[in-house]
Amino acid sequence: MVADGAQQSGNEIEIQAVSKVFGQGATAFHALTGIDLTIRTGEFFTLLGPSGCGKTTLLRVIAGFEHPSSGQLRIKGQDVVGQAPNRRMVNTVFQSYALFPHMTVAQNIGFGLKMLGRPRSEIETTTAEMMRLVKMEAMASRKPAELSGGQQQRVALARALAPRPRVLLLDEPLSALDLKLRKEMQTELKRLQVETGITFVFVTHDQEEALTMSDRLAVMSKGRILQLGSPHDIYHAPTERFVADFIGETNFLSLKVITVQGRGADLALPGGRIVPARIAEGVTPAVSEAVSAVIRPEQAQLVEAGTGDLLATVTGAVFFGTDTHIHLTLEDGQAFTVRRQNTIGQADPETGARVGLSLMPGALQVLRGS
Amino acid sequence: MKRDSHRWKWILVSPALVVLILAASGPLLIVAVYSVLSPGNMGGVSWDFSTEAWFRVFFKRDIFDPENVTLNADHLAVFQRTLWLSFQTTVICAALGFPTAWFIATRPVNRRMIWLFLITVPFWTNLLIRTFAIQELIRNSGTLNTALLWLGLIDKPLELMYTDFAVLLGMSYVFLPLMVLPLYAAMDKLDFRLVEAGYDLYASRMQVLWHVILPLVKPGFIAGSILVFIPSIGAYVTPRVLGGGRTMMLGNLIGLQFGQGRNWPLGSALAMVLLVIVVAALVFYLRITTRETGGRDGQS
Repeated sequence: MVADGAQQSGNEIEIQAVSKVFGQGATAFHALTGIDLTIRTGEFFTLLGPSGCGKTTLLRVIAGFEHPSSGQLRIKGQDVVGQAPNRRMVNTVFQSYALFPHMTVAQNIGFGLKMLGRPRSEIETTTAEMMRLVKMEAMASRKPAELSGGQQQRVALARALAPRPRVLLLDEPLSALDLKLRKEMQTELKRLQVETGITFVFVTHDQEEALTMSDRLAVMSKGRILQLGSPHDIYHAPTERFVADFIGETNFLSLKVITVQGRGADLALPGGRIVPARIAEGVTPAVSEAVSAVIRPEQAQLVEAGTGDLLATVTGAVFFGTDTHIHLTLEDGQAFTVRRQNTIGQADPETGARVGLSLMPGALQVLRGS
Repeated sequence: MKRDSHRWKWILVSPALVVLILAASGPLLIVAVYSVLSPGNMGGVSWDFSTEAWFRVFFKRDIFDPENVTLNADHLAVFQRTLWLSFQTTVICAALGFPTAWFIATRPVNRRMIWLFLITVPFWTNLLIRTFAIQELIRNSGTLNTALLWLGLIDKPLELMYTDFAVLLGMSYVFLPLMVLPLYAAMDKLDFRLVEAGYDLYASRMQVLWHVILPLVKPGFIAGSILVFIPSIGAYVTPRVLGGGRTMMLGNLIGLQFGQGRNWPLGSALAMVLLVIVVAALVFYLRITTRETGGRDGQS
């Protein structure tokens, strides 16, 4: 059914220059623009972005519910543009779960296999196995309306996994659950992905979910992929202001470039100190140009005034339990936030106090754009 | 205090009770009583108890030898035709109504009202006029036959008038909106994401229709079938105009007894039979259609 020649390449899904336009003429909406993306076999891949960024549209293109306006889409090396959803070995866990209300839990889970024309004995064993996998054995003869949100979620997952698809698409499946259940399901999903070895493509707007679960993730905005990489790369080496801002908390500083050598640059801090910084891929800053650089709040430390890299004035402190956010103003008026791990007996710095600021070496990163 | 509110309750529901007793049960009671009386000389009834009318519903006596009793084949044929035509009408309306309702339900929300409005347009014109219009279409020198003759597809006009086909055509046309509207209401509530889920789980278009859409819009089919089947059984105007005397339905047979037949008790007895058929059909239909889904809503 599927060409196995591409198996060695390790690429499950190859997306090339895919665009999707809804409507025509002046009212046309460009949901996806020039998407290039390769998803590897067996990885947990996340599409992350705010609502309306095109992540769900991209998922629907992979599932076959939408056809790309242009571009190519291959699953396991096979061109699937124009192929109906029921012919793709790809299953979806819908945001609304979309369980069939007139069928029992077991019938829901067995539906895919039944439609594939598998023998009854196989449907029964697989359904039982799937119910065990998601811990729903006791609910086999219930109707979806008799289940809680978390249970419906598990059934939706089991239903999509039962036909053993090559790829499982998950469209914000956890967004309807409360926080505690969501955390549980995050672990559960990751476990299922590792156990089954199926490629997961997960869509979310929750940056924490994306960071904790993914092997790799793509940050999307306005129908484009802004950055693609491991959670580590995305968090520590954002290439664009949007990515840095969307994921975690960030300090943006406008700094002047002193020298540029390869992928590194020296930047002048307010107060005159010169520090090294990394340069995001595809950026070529010019000497003596003002650039936008980022540093995470936990990558700076408060020190005695007069020592460290910067001098700052405390404008406030917010207690978060595990840590405290200390808001500062630099000498040239730019705002800066430091996150400090809390220890017992440690006093918050007073508002108006003059403090020094020491930046973690190599933490500064020059962004694309300014 | 409690007695007082109790009394108020009865006063408040009394208009509804009056309507129910006088307008609904009253006439029915009169029909039931008339069915066990003897026919009057010039129509009407004479107040002598008799089961002759009920007897004559199913049997007939030889004119010259009243003791010679045979089954009334004419009446039984009318019963059979009435049920069969009504059943066919329901099936045709369901077959045509489903795609129509589906078409409307899948239009953009702001356009659906226009389509629904168009569905109700026929109700604006008198039923009799519309039935005569169908007659104009299918009669021997009517539009259809003229067109087919002109095209050379037939040599002589098709005999469509005064046939079961004509009655079926007329009734299907008249009752179609009664199937479309409840079906649309059911489809309007259908979660189209379930259709996508069906496709996602390897169901073909036919399988999605069979396993997902049809079970979910079944309440619409049940409501629509009842709304079509029941008035079909009692149809009068359509079989009268399009079926003539040859393809009589139960409604026409009853009408005949009160008119030319001058046998009001027989007409009343036939009307009671009609009532029994409708109730039986309804019970039977609800039985078979709710069996599989039984317990789903927890109702019994």
